[in-house]
Amino acid sequence: MSNDVIAKKRKNRTSTGLRTGRWTPTFFVLPAVILLFLITIVPFIIELILSLHVYEFTSLADPQFVGLQNYVDVLLHDARFWNAMKITFIFIIGAVGLELLLGVSLALLLNRLRRGRSLITSLLLIPVMIAPVVSGMMWFMIYDDKFGPLNYIIEIVSFGHFGGTAWLAQLSTALPSVMVVDIWQWTPFIILIALAGLQSIPPELYEAAEVDGCGAWQTLWNITLPMLAPVMVVGFLIRFMDAFKLFDVVYLLTRGGPGSATETISFYTYLRGFKQFSIGYTAALAFIQLIVIIFVSKLFIGYLQRQRGEEVA
Amino acid sequence: MRERKDRPITRIIIYAILLLALAFFLFPVLWTFVTSFKTQKEFFSYPPVFVPQQIDLHNYIGAMIPPPDGRNGFKSLMDSGIVALGTTILSMILGAPAAYSLARWKTGGDDLSFWILSTRMFPPVAAALPLFFIFQKLKLLDTYYVLILANTIFVLAFVIWMLKGYFEDLPTELEEAALIDGCSSFRAFTLIALPLVAPGLVATTLFAFVFTWNEFLFALLLTRRAVRTLTVMVPSLVGGHEILWGEIAAAGIVAIIPGIVLALLLQRYLIRGLTLGAVKG
Repeated sequence: MSNDVIAKKRKNRTSTGLRTGRWTPTFFVLPAVILLFLITIVPFIIELILSLHVYEFTSLADPQFVGLQNYVDVLLHDARFWNAMKITFIFIIGAVGLELLLGVSLALLLNRLRRGRSLITSLLLIPVMIAPVVSGMMWFMIYDDKFGPLNYIIEIVSFGHFGGTAWLAQLSTALPSVMVVDIWQWTPFIILIALAGLQSIPPELYEAAEVDGCGAWQTLWNITLPMLAPVMVVGFLIRFMDAFKLFDVVYLLTRGGPGSATETISFYTYLRGFKQFSIGYTAALAFIQLIVIIFVSKLFIGYLQRQRGEEVA
Repeated sequence: MRERKDRPITRIIIYAILLLALAFFLFPVLWTFVTSFKTQKEFFSYPPVFVPQQIDLHNYIGAMIPPPDGRNGFKSLMDSGIVALGTTILSMILGAPAAYSLARWKTGGDDLSFWILSTRMFPPVAAALPLFFIFQKLKLLDTYYVLILANTIFVLAFVIWMLKGYFEDLPTELEEAALIDGCSSFRAFTLIALPLVAPGLVATTLFAFVFTWNEFLFALLLTRRAVRTLTVMVPSLVGGHEILWGEIAAAGIVAIIPGIVLALLLQRYLIRGLTLGAVKG
């Protein structure tokens, strides 16, 4: 009862906000909103219009209005689009799945350390802020079939039985190789948020579990992992949206090849738009992705809203 | 934190696994660092050279000085710096008052905040096509302006959302007192609220800088010769006729310095920066 009253009081204060002139709040946001409008809404209106036309940049013909034809072509007649979607989803399930698994496991181990935790965490975080295109370059050298260290290490460990693999040129290894770079770069991010999640679990829960005679595994399954779930949802949604943007590493490592084995949806869009200059078609492709991303970001935003609601209450 | 007593053997296993993980996550950076000192002959040798014969800066000099002797990396370094600085300054100047307004007066309600946030989620390749057309018409392709504006789409949304979180965490009492004393809202914002969120302001600025510094797709598609950032320079060297790996590695090391410094110095802020405040850490 009294909690409710406090919550209401708090809510009232934040919702009325500071006293100010009538137009001051608008005046503060307006410059940013105008700029964002000019660089997001305006381009997307143009893109929407382009997507309703057949427009080949390389031909001299004027754009021709075709209605939804481009969308129909993308969704019904474009095997390469569906291949790119498939690759993107394999990537998300494989790479992001492993990132979550590895990240949470490593965070659990780190959390048990009494010495050296902050040093090891700091060092583990180095990959996170490296430009993805440079990560690609680093791994390009590592994967090199003739002179790269990866094949050398494999050769040593297998006593010369294996080695000399052309990681990026083979159908079976190209996509996993690209995924490893992503796992390398983003597992530390999952470690970071999993550690934050672990530290926010109230110690009383563990004490209660101990009193009830829970074993280590039971505690992990029934307390730690369920309590970690919310931050992991955030991590997953962020990585999901990022995976849709996956371009830099693919550009550097494989350019979508061999064949179209590593052609992600972003990379395919780039090829259609900036290599073949099929402008109308690419605009339709871009819009379809936009709809998927808007859907996912709604989930993310809904999650943020709910969380904020809980904070106020 | 709960103190847990692990048996010595368990502890050794934990350390062993973590050291293995450390080796995996640090190896590519270390390998690139080592490669940046190698001669061309050392790069093309098998088994690979783990310790170069001579540690000197010849690859760095080659990567940075202008042609015909070098790869013009210094120009790219400046380009990356100008674009990142321009984007950051523009985003902070427009973003800070907007964030303050959203946090303090709930301007535009949740809809406006979330519209701003959603602009950050767009796939850049979807945004690049119309931007290419617009800036071609404006004859602004291959300039600093086009990259600064394109990057601002994402960075401004980031800045607003981050700073909004910091302002919301700040109690309103001091500003209320100042307003009662006859201070204007603008003065309450600049003289009271801004200094109080200074750490968050600095962290957000540095993140904005590094995000722009690391950006590749817009730089690849919207600029060509006049502006060539480090992230475009590195892959362009990989595609050349004679691939000088030592110099590429050197340029790569130069390109990742701001990111690594940030990750190490601002570890405390990293979580908030990377999750847009969804996880506070």
